[in-house]
Amino acid sequence: MNLEIENVKKTFGDKVAVNVEKFLVHSGEIVGLVGNNGAGKTTLFRIILDLLLPDTGSVTVNGNLKTCSLCTENTNFASGQLHEGEYVSYTTSKCEDWKAFTGAYIDSGFLIDYLTPDEYFSFIGKVNGMSKEDTESRLMRFENFMNGEVVGQNTLIRNLSAGNKQKVGIIGAMLNNPQLLILDEPFNFLDPSSQIAMKNLLESYNRETGATILVSSHNLTHTFDICTRITLLEHGVILKDYDKSYADLTFEIENYFKGNV
Amino acid sequence: MYLNRVKLLYRLISKNQRIANRRHPMFERNMVFKVLTYFFVAFWAVYLAVLGIAFFFIFDGTNREAFDWINGGMIFILSIDFLLRFVMQETPAQEVKAYKLMPIPMNFLFNVFLVRSGLRGYNFFWFFFLVPFGFLAVPSFFGFSGLIGFLIGWWLMFVLNSYWYLFWRTWINRHTYILVAPVLCCAALIYFGIFFDEQCPWLFYATLRLGRGFVNFYPLSFVLVLIAIIPMFIVNKRMLRHFVYLEISKDDRVKKVKSQEMRFLNRFGEIGEYIKLEIKSTIRNQVVRKQFLFGAFYMFLLCALFAFSDVYDGSSFMKIFICIYCFACLGTMTLTGIMCMEGNYIDGLMSRKESVLSLLKAKYYFNCMMMIFPLLSVIMPIVEGKLTVVTALGCLFFSMGVVFPFLFQLAVYNNNTIHLNDKLTRSGRSTKTQMIFSSAALFVPIFIMYLLMSLFSENIASVIMLVIGFIGTAMHPLWLRNIYRRFMKRRYVNMAGFRDSRQV
Repeated sequence: MNLEIENVKKTFGDKVAVNVEKFLVHSGEIVGLVGNNGAGKTTLFRIILDLLLPDTGSVTVNGNLKTCSLCTENTNFASGQLHEGEYVSYTTSKCEDWKAFTGAYIDSGFLIDYLTPDEYFSFIGKVNGMSKEDTESRLMRFENFMNGEVVGQNTLIRNLSAGNKQKVGIIGAMLNNPQLLILDEPFNFLDPSSQIAMKNLLESYNRETGATILVSSHNLTHTFDICTRITLLEHGVILKDYDKSYADLTFEIENYFKGNV
Repeated sequence: MYLNRVKLLYRLISKNQRIANRRHPMFERNMVFKVLTYFFVAFWAVYLAVLGIAFFFIFDGTNREAFDWINGGMIFILSIDFLLRFVMQETPAQEVKAYKLMPIPMNFLFNVFLVRSGLRGYNFFWFFFLVPFGFLAVPSFFGFSGLIGFLIGWWLMFVLNSYWYLFWRTWINRHTYILVAPVLCCAALIYFGIFFDEQCPWLFYATLRLGRGFVNFYPLSFVLVLIAIIPMFIVNKRMLRHFVYLEISKDDRVKKVKSQEMRFLNRFGEIGEYIKLEIKSTIRNQVVRKQFLFGAFYMFLLCALFAFSDVYDGSSFMKIFICIYCFACLGTMTLTGIMCMEGNYIDGLMSRKESVLSLLKAKYYFNCMMMIFPLLSVIMPIVEGKLTVVTALGCLFFSMGVVFPFLFQLAVYNNNTIHLNDKLTRSGRSTKTQMIFSSAALFVPIFIMYLLMSLFSENIASVIMLVIGFIGTAMHPLWLRNIYRRFMKRRYVNMAGFRDSRQV
């Protein structure tokens, strides 16, 4: 799935939170958004997901729909009128069809915290048209990431630690095998083992499904490791857009942040 | 030096509490709600003032002075005041956590919260009634100083009542079933008329004498009330300290729950999943559970009163009025805050296609299913021969087809997140605005009923209600989709409101 952001501007009072003229994410890319606090990363994600109305501009998702190679059932398009191979183009604020192939986790506002993780995943599976068996088999993929601390615990999500809540949110976002995956600060609250598992998970998911992935993070090392593109955002404006092959990528970005300290 | 520090800290904490009230997103954001709130207060002010004047003229010229009647009926007024506080007085917001590591003694902090609770504006609410009444009744015998004594004495009684309420409310916050004790006690006091001089002369004369003491400025009367306030203050402080620490320690973190599959709902597909959510939300979230239990309790109380007392036997209008209340009150309690619970996970809902529509449908079906409780409850008045089956069915369908759609309109406008599991350390502010809407939800049907009853017989009115309700019920897919479309048009405003009022 391609993601196109055009002339998106969002202000809160006098403060410009996001001001992006043109930003394209191509199908199959893993793009990492980096920037200091208040750079507008989360606001941009909210606009992309139609959770926040921009003052101007639009966000479009387009591309050919494909059945995920990981799926045992063709459930990706179960809830909509979509068909495999069909070319689609949706402005996210105009319709809801793009939600069928999009997964996202920003914060606990995505979690139904009075459910146990098992119930939550079962709920997500059912509303995405998956059978119980399919949900269970998809959860197997996250076994390493969950590290035996998430499912089968009989604990409400609200009573989990911050790290495990984060895991539940990320797994919930990935459970329907989305072709567009958006994760805000996915490494936050995770212990070192889970951070490494998270990296492997995203890389393998991208490799196996060809999904477009957009992540934001303050952890530069992890971002450099997994992303094919790094975008530097500051005060709502995209300052630089680097390809991973750019030789001075690490040096330039680290220098930028050193200068801002 | 110490006094200055106490004054400074008191002012600081008071200021923070005032700011918290003023800056609450729901209050700050919506001018219409603000105006409605003032209108609501103004309405009650005028109503109580008129009542105060009317009471003076009713009691004037009887075998007692007018103020003696009111003082004698003190327990009655305090009981009503106590019950009203469940609606009017917000859950005590003890924002202790923020001060926990600051150099402010916890003891002092609890004192400030409790003193401010005693000094709150609501304790003057009944003055809309007492000032005009006292002005007409007291000065001719005791001069204006008597009037001042009368008002100070009553104010102290309301302060005592607020601590009495706080005591029960704190317990109820921990264990909802405790609600039954004070409410039954107050309802019994009111229902059996224990405050009447014929039925319980000692109580009547005791409060009459206390009131006489107030108007005469007898120090002993005031000291007696103060003596009663002090232990209530201390007990409340100890309880708050105990429960707040329990809550901060998050003892529920280790609690295990049993995963519930509710397979019987699987056949309803996606809607069934959302109905499961409704059921689990009611069982597992204290705030939702409490709303449900309050609704069920009021409903059962009304049915019982209707069945086993002759209070409502005289008028057929009152009969249907109570019957509609039985069916509508549970829905009113749970639907007034529609979408406010979901504000906690609105982003998750909004990132799935039409999930809000499925949620609305599930909510409607769930509330319709819950009608089984009032339906079972009205068997009591049906068996007693006070209600016909047609009337009961008329009220049932009228609730499902008219009252519910009316309340569901709030799904478009509600945008304040209600915290699902509030106890003591968070403010359980369910807003006065929702109170206004719930009142409207009950008054509009009554107006319609009044119209029908004045034009037709009870049976025909019941049948008309049944038909109107049935049409509304049958048309639920249409009006639910209409609500969903309007919700989606307002989604950005609502989502911003939910996010702003959400506490992470």
